[in-house]
Amino acid sequence: MASETTDRPKVAPAPPSLTPGRRRFVAVVFGAVGAAVAGLVGVPLAGFFALPALRRSERRWLEVGPITDFAEGRISKVLAKPLVAQVWPHETRQVALYVQNQGAGKFTLYHIHCTHVGCPVRWSAPAGRFFSPCHGGVFDKDGRVLAGPPPRPLDRHEHKIENGVLYAGRIFKVNDKLEFAGWHHA
Amino acid sequence: MAPRLTPVLEWLQERLGTREQFTRFLYRRLPVGTTWWHTLGSAALFLILLQTLTGYFLAFYYVPSPEHAYDSLTYIQQEIPFGRFVRGLHYWGASFTIVVVFLHLLRVFAMGAYKYPREMSWVVGVVLFLIVMLFGFTGYLLPWDQKAYWATVVGTHIAGTAPLVGDYLWRILQGGVEVGARTLGRFYAAHVLILPAVLYSLVLIHLSMVIYQGIGPTPRGGLARVRKEDYARLYEESKGGGETFLEHLVRDAVVALLLLLALAWVAAMWSVPMEEVADPTDTQYVPRPEWYFYFLFELLWQFPGKWIPVATFWIPLAAVLLLLLLPFYDRTSGRSPLKRPVASTSAALALAAIALLTYQGATAPAPPREGGAVTQEKKALPPALAKGAAVYEAQGCSACHVLRGTGSAAGPDLTRVGARRDEAWLKGFIKDPAAVRPDSLMPPYGDLSQDELEALAKYLAALK
Repeated sequence: MASETTDRPKVAPAPPSLTPGRRRFVAVVFGAVGAAVAGLVGVPLAGFFALPALRRSERRWLEVGPITDFAEGRISKVLAKPLVAQVWPHETRQVALYVQNQGAGKFTLYHIHCTHVGCPVRWSAPAGRFFSPCHGGVFDKDGRVLAGPPPRPLDRHEHKIENGVLYAGRIFKVNDKLEFAGWHHA
Repeated sequence: MAPRLTPVLEWLQERLGTREQFTRFLYRRLPVGTTWWHTLGSAALFLILLQTLTGYFLAFYYVPSPEHAYDSLTYIQQEIPFGRFVRGLHYWGASFTIVVVFLHLLRVFAMGAYKYPREMSWVVGVVLFLIVMLFGFTGYLLPWDQKAYWATVVGTHIAGTAPLVGDYLWRILQGGVEVGARTLGRFYAAHVLILPAVLYSLVLIHLSMVIYQGIGPTPRGGLARVRKEDYARLYEESKGGGETFLEHLVRDAVVALLLLLALAWVAAMWSVPMEEVADPTDTQYVPRPEWYFYFLFELLWQFPGKWIPVATFWIPLAAVLLLLLLPFYDRTSGRSPLKRPVASTSAALALAAIALLTYQGATAPAPPREGGAVTQEKKALPPALAKGAAVYEAQGCSACHVLRGTGSAAGPDLTRVGARRDEAWLKGFIKDPAAVRPDSLMPPYGDLSQDELEALAKYLAALK
């Protein structure tokens, strides 16, 4: 390149510049305006966007039904109704879950989403197993992984029984020994 | 130029310098060997503009709420004049856009056009490609049908497997603990407001870079291998015999027209597939993503249990970084694909892998519906075998095995299992697979009655 003649001089003239004092002044003004915009607009917008997402479920308890509806030793799919109506959407959606009556007043409530990537698992009573339709996940009647890629047993709903009615609550994860291992989305 | 226009143009020229700008833009010289392959970028832009236009008009009728989204689309398709066609243009146009953007990326890769001095055009281009994929991801929730809902449940679940921040990302994407009204609102706002703003800003930057540096030449002859020091001289020389941009625009226009004709034909011939309205309580539904996400969905087969993030996070992250940083680690002087065998071979392998996974996704057999194929077939079987078929169906064997194209391909295809294994072997294996083959992933079926086990083995042994 050195041998070529070009229009541009090799050493550029010093760019126009500010005195240190003026430069500091400009920086302070930019900083102040930036901080004001970030604080007064950015913080509310970030909260507006993210906080509703980080709230736990608005409907803590779902009404599953009278415990007499569930035969001992059976697993059945139920559509549970939220107790508290939402402001919006008006149609309060039902929530599907599997209820297992283990007898002696003990119940286990399973979340219908496979723990792999969330496909809906189907309960097959003749096989006594839950099957996921996506990547071959198979769970036994207690939600343990029998085959396929799921990383942990089926998630469960906490539950309570009041006046003979079964209610489902928040979803939690269990470990391989089927012990509590933390809330889902907490 | 029509004489009547001249005073107007003169008026503009005096104030804006329009003539110089247009002349410089339209009559700039392109390098020798600017080909039809060089139209893919403008074809992508054409499709993006078309998506924007059809999207604007869909937004006049579409309502982004779980109560109304599905109905408003049914309304567009059935009641609005040209509704089926306009939605068809947008729906099929999405696939066209992804294909053309990807081909554009391949063209640039093949011609080594990501090298000096166009590194930043490449980086911005890769980001544009990712944004186009995000348009797909956010767009297909909007119809709020079963496919939309369940693909998004799976998509957000996959985001949730990212290390450390996965759960936050999951909830931020969903707008809560489940896919619902807020998810739809978020995806809609992203799809029609945020992503277009980002996309067009980056498109303008991308285009200004192309205009500043000129289009990447076909790496033939003296340009097959170029050292950085020689680049400016060789590129200027190659413009000597080249055509002008205005002439190349003819190719661009022809390609745009052909694409539009093809797209209009597809939109006119095939209605957009619409499933039942989203039902989060349906446990019989079989979720499948759009075809351009099959590669990820199929990759999940390879990484079970604690390895899931390898498929959902680490491989995609590595792929994106490899693409983004390509011009910074591939600093060889070869520009023709033949002069850089390592890059060409790795790209060919990556392409083959994506094509294979996409093919597997496209041809994956569906699990049987209740009362499906096996039930039908059972009726035609002799009683001795029908019992085994009933056991096969009841035990949900098709959750892991394919039988004549139905089932899930986790385990071996059993369509002709009788030709490989006899009844006694099958009986022993089903009862306790690990005892026969220690590496078998199949769970034991010791809880079957002796009767059921024999019937099942007899049935399977007869499959030849």
